[in-house]
Amino acid sequence: MKTRRILSLLLAVMMVVTLFAGCTSQTNQPAPPAPEDGEESEQEEQPPAEQPKGDKILKFGGSGWGGLFNPVMTDNVYDSYVCDLIFEHLVNNDIEGEFIPELAEWIVSEDHLTYTFTLKDGIKFADGTPLTTADVEFTYKTIAHPKYDGPRAYAVSDLVGYEEYHGGATDVFEGIKVIDEKTISFIFPEGSAAPANIQCFVYGIMPKHYYEFENWEDFLALNEDPLGSGVLVFDSWAPKEFIKLMKNENYWDPANALKFDGILMSEVPDESILSALQTNQIDLAQISSSADNLEAAEAMDNIHLFNYLGNGYTFMCFNCIRPQLEDVRVRQALIYALDRESFIEAQYGAGLAEVGMAPISPSSWAFPDASELNPYSFDMEKAAKLMDEAGWKMESDKFRYKDGQKMHIKWLVYTDASWPATLAGMAADTWKQLGVDLEIELMDFETVADRTMDAEVGEKDFDIYTMGFSLDIDPDPTGALFDDNAYVKGGFNASGYKNAEAMELVARGKAEFDQEKRAVIYKEWAKIMNQEIPHTIVAYRKEIFGCSNRVKGMEIDTNKTFVQSIREVSIE
Amino acid sequence: MKNYIIRRIIQMIPVFLGILFILFFILEQAPGTPVSNMMDPKMTPAQKAELAQKLGLDIPWYKRFINWIGEALKGNLGYSIKHKKPVTQVIGDYAGATLLLALISLVISILIGIPAGVISATKQYTVADNMLTVISFIGISIPSFFFGLLLLKFFAVDIQIFPLFGLRDPLLMSTNQFDKIKDMAWHLVLPSIVLGLNSTASFMRYTRSSMLEVIKQDYIRTARAKGLKEKTVIYRHAFRNAVIPIITLLGFWIPGLLSGAVVTETIFALPGLGKISVEATLTRNYPLILGINAMLAVLTLIGALVADLLYAIADPRIRYD
Repeated sequence: MKTRRILSLLLAVMMVVTLFAGCTSQTNQPAPPAPEDGEESEQEEQPPAEQPKGDKILKFGGSGWGGLFNPVMTDNVYDSYVCDLIFEHLVNNDIEGEFIPELAEWIVSEDHLTYTFTLKDGIKFADGTPLTTADVEFTYKTIAHPKYDGPRAYAVSDLVGYEEYHGGATDVFEGIKVIDEKTISFIFPEGSAAPANIQCFVYGIMPKHYYEFENWEDFLALNEDPLGSGVLVFDSWAPKEFIKLMKNENYWDPANALKFDGILMSEVPDESILSALQTNQIDLAQISSSADNLEAAEAMDNIHLFNYLGNGYTFMCFNCIRPQLEDVRVRQALIYALDRESFIEAQYGAGLAEVGMAPISPSSWAFPDASELNPYSFDMEKAAKLMDEAGWKMESDKFRYKDGQKMHIKWLVYTDASWPATLAGMAADTWKQLGVDLEIELMDFETVADRTMDAEVGEKDFDIYTMGFSLDIDPDPTGALFDDNAYVKGGFNASGYKNAEAMELVARGKAEFDQEKRAVIYKEWAKIMNQEIPHTIVAYRKEIFGCSNRVKGMEIDTNKTFVQSIREVSIE
Repeated sequence: MKNYIIRRIIQMIPVFLGILFILFFILEQAPGTPVSNMMDPKMTPAQKAELAQKLGLDIPWYKRFINWIGEALKGNLGYSIKHKKPVTQVIGDYAGATLLLALISLVISILIGIPAGVISATKQYTVADNMLTVISFIGISIPSFFFGLLLLKFFAVDIQIFPLFGLRDPLLMSTNQFDKIKDMAWHLVLPSIVLGLNSTASFMRYTRSSMLEVIKQDYIRTARAKGLKEKTVIYRHAFRNAVIPIITLLGFWIPGLLSGAVVTETIFALPGLGKISVEATLTRNYPLILGINAMLAVLTLIGALVADLLYAIADPRIRYD
């Protein structure tokens, strides 16, 4: 008897503990009492005498650094943050998305084919060596090198003479001309003039004397020991632990140097981001956008938030060569029968995403007036009517048929992120009412890519798949989801939808240099895509950054990362 | 004994080759390639194809297999696609933390689990036994992500005596080695508890049941009848016989020392092999997956051998001649 009583007591205590832990997560935490605070700082900063600078270090939290700290090799956003802090670029952009000079002023020739950059005076790398056009040439020739295996080839592949140089036939890259120590030209071939070409010059410039290589392996070996001309210099990195960058004391433009001592970027799992901000163990982090997280973050009084529209969208691709989906009315019916408002509320929380309409970011100058676009608001009757019109009739088994074929749809859902499954789950319910036999296949991201974009044209084995897409500042859609020519193995367009008229608009928009005229062209194009929906834009998402109140002057927005704001920042 | 070990090692070679072959074959069958997650929207199909060719993906898989074996014999496990550096270096980067964490939790679980199991068995059905049983069942059944978050909430957020993430404090400028060790130990307290709890609990249960079986044997009754002290009976006569199944368990633990604990590593943001191998699988980083799994296969085979050898030490009746 006695033991049993002890046991039940024990269990009861356990249950209370569990409940307590479950309920009080994140919200309304009283500030930790002072003595514990003292203990903590004792642990964290042991010998205060040896660490006078510790306070002025910006502590950034996140996860996903891969160790490719090289502006031409980096392939994820966290590694690019590191690169953009250490290296400087010929061209950068302002908060409006306009391109502005960073290391160099530029002029474009009459025919829009030659870009001539003139470097500013006195630029030096962190080791004191002057930055000259030889370094610029070296950087771009490295991307074009026959051995190059990074993801940045598109920055040079449009230049004159790329094929010859990349193929190894010659040592001379015709499209890059060094005029003198300060002046360099990049030449694009006839017919490829486009305002988007300026985006080729937003990559970090590497010092030739440091990175010059005999073997490609020697070049790669420097990925973990970068040297650039930026306001920060590389100090140390421990894989999957932290990256430490310190202020570049020899920065070539002292007036614009860093106003604090350095940045520590720590690997912090998503689960702990809010707690880490709350306990001041980090100063800055992206918070995954959900209503719960936003509420908890807003309740903290030691941080302020940046809540802005991300430059990208999530989309749903229809395989338009399938008999069930070739008719635009069927595609429209399916979207009408999908309650995206509720989806956004369930998945992200109201206000943290918007229903997608056009394949252009709403933050762009090319985005049409929303009133001219169809939001496909949830309407089951309209959906049923469109299905009927398209010849898909409801039979006695509650499914629709046309010419003896059942309306069967196979949707590939990857589980690496949660939103595709949420959306497909909601569709399973409403589409069933519409008479659609939906089959959801769960898999990982790689498998979805393998069966859609990366499959041969005749072997693309799906009806619908969903994915996210990030955009450039320039709205040019060439080569992406809506490009007829990207309907190949490895291309981004898996829908099979072709529209010569739309492609004509894309080509005109790409080559037009008057932004107002360009906007008109893209708006017209966006309306066609909003009507035809070979890819439906599911949602535009908000992104949230949390920043400690001891950090002043930070500004983060759609076209401005915290990195681009770093010179304005000071720490109290 | 020496001949036995040599014979066993020779036997391992075909087994190991078989494991590698199966690994290679399964990877080959998995959909997706290392290139399919390079989703830079501006990359053209031709550029993607060129990357695939540079990674040697256009060579038939059996040829790649033979090449890989040839290179591996020379100690070259290839280049990790994501990290752009040799697989051996990548494993070296992450093995330290994994090994450290696993060793600490293994020591904890042996030091606590086995004695607790012995007590539990000798005092069967008493309050102590029941308490230990309940605790061990909690230990076995509580999911480690939940237990980990619970500990973090109490000790790192509410009362803030332990750090929330990481293996050390990078801003600790002290040059004193002792301070550094102290700092790292401090960071490892919560993760070791989380990782150790489950294995402590299983060691306790295995020891308990194995002891219970031995205690009922005739020779224990004989030992008692000889008038030996209870302590001698339990620790010299019973425990020595009960330890054999636990040795088997320990043998299997050896690869576990390096396979990493994905959940614990993720929650506490520790730089371990578990997280890396999951990442490698999700991005189809073939060379790294192969490297890590080949290493684990070797360790599993060695673990089995070590367990067999330890039997002979624990039980004089077992001889390998």
